[in-house]
Amino acid sequence: MTDNANPLKVESPEFGGSVYDWSWFRTGMRQILSLPALILVSGFIGFGGLARESGVSVWEMIYMVPAIWALPSHLLVIAGIGAGASLVTLAPAVILASVRMMPMTMALVPDIRLPRSKTWHLLAVSHLVAITAWVHVLQRAPDIPRAGRLPYFVGFGVMLVMSSTLAATLVYEAAASFPPIVMAGLYFITPIYFATSLWNSSRYRAEHIALGLGFALGPAMAMILPEANILAGGIAGGILAYGIHRMFFSQSGKR
Amino acid sequence: MFYDSFQAWWWPFVFITLAGVVPTNMWRWIGVVVVGRLDESSEWLVLVRFVASSLVAAVIAQFVFFPSGALAAAPLWLRLGAVAVGFISFLGFGRRIIVGVIVAETVLLSGMSLFAKF
Repeated sequence: MTDNANPLKVESPEFGGSVYDWSWFRTGMRQILSLPALILVSGFIGFGGLARESGVSVWEMIYMVPAIWALPSHLLVIAGIGAGASLVTLAPAVILASVRMMPMTMALVPDIRLPRSKTWHLLAVSHLVAITAWVHVLQRAPDIPRAGRLPYFVGFGVMLVMSSTLAATLVYEAAASFPPIVMAGLYFITPIYFATSLWNSSRYRAEHIALGLGFALGPAMAMILPEANILAGGIAGGILAYGIHRMFFSQSGKR
Repeated sequence: MFYDSFQAWWWPFVFITLAGVVPTNMWRWIGVVVVGRLDESSEWLVLVRFVASSLVAAVIAQFVFFPSGALAAAPLWLRLGAVAVGFISFLGFGRRIIVGVIVAETVLLSGMSLFAKF
């Protein structure tokens, strides 16, 4: 485990300095056939329909899916555009909603880097950090030689991005020819998929309270602050839930 | 500044970049740069985690309460009911996401074929 203890100084040939083993790239790509990947792609099937309804063009959506690559941010952006939100309320909401990318990246980097990995390699690869690939690679990393981990992660991540973009684009283009009830069903996948997966990925008990409060306060705030209701409801719900966490759960609050 | 502030073809891309791409990616970049230098269990990060979860729940609620297009043809009680029944099934059947999605969709679509006005 010397590589974990002192990742920047180990230079034994076993770890190959900064020579990645790209044969793992294809192994990573094949994980596109796993269940979590299929669920994620079906979430983007719903997203394609939502994006169309919110008024963004197909090219804007094709840009947005890979460039943002975080479904909560995608949803915030199209909900904001649909509701006519200004940049001043939308950007802070996305910033706050995607803070989780930072600890996720911090947890992954020590697992996939090599002793002499360039920082720009890691900056580029970090773009693929999002919940599905992240959970999967953290779980599988111990079974993969260190030199193969970054290629494996990139292979899986790139396949997820391409499949999701393709799925969203096909639905966007085909939406007009679907009966309305089919479209309604497709739109509905994303909210329920997200509600359940967020519930499963929460780390503290009071985080479930945060989810409930956000769900209730977001719409409630629409009566007071119609253009910033998501931001206002989300912040209020998060702070309230944190207060509850500190008062009742802080000793044993971990799930 | 709004999505439709300018008529130029490039403005929506700039808007999406400023509203979504940079705000999301900055955290990944910060994560790479500060890795090993920041205590991941700090209370600040816990608070931030709660706010982030609550915000995403507020986004989900936005799509359920204020949908556009085809989903708006379903009455609010049906949308909320479908989410509720789907979610309870998810909890009841070992927190399997696929159960929640299938049950919620079944309730929504059968309700819509009975009640929705297109």
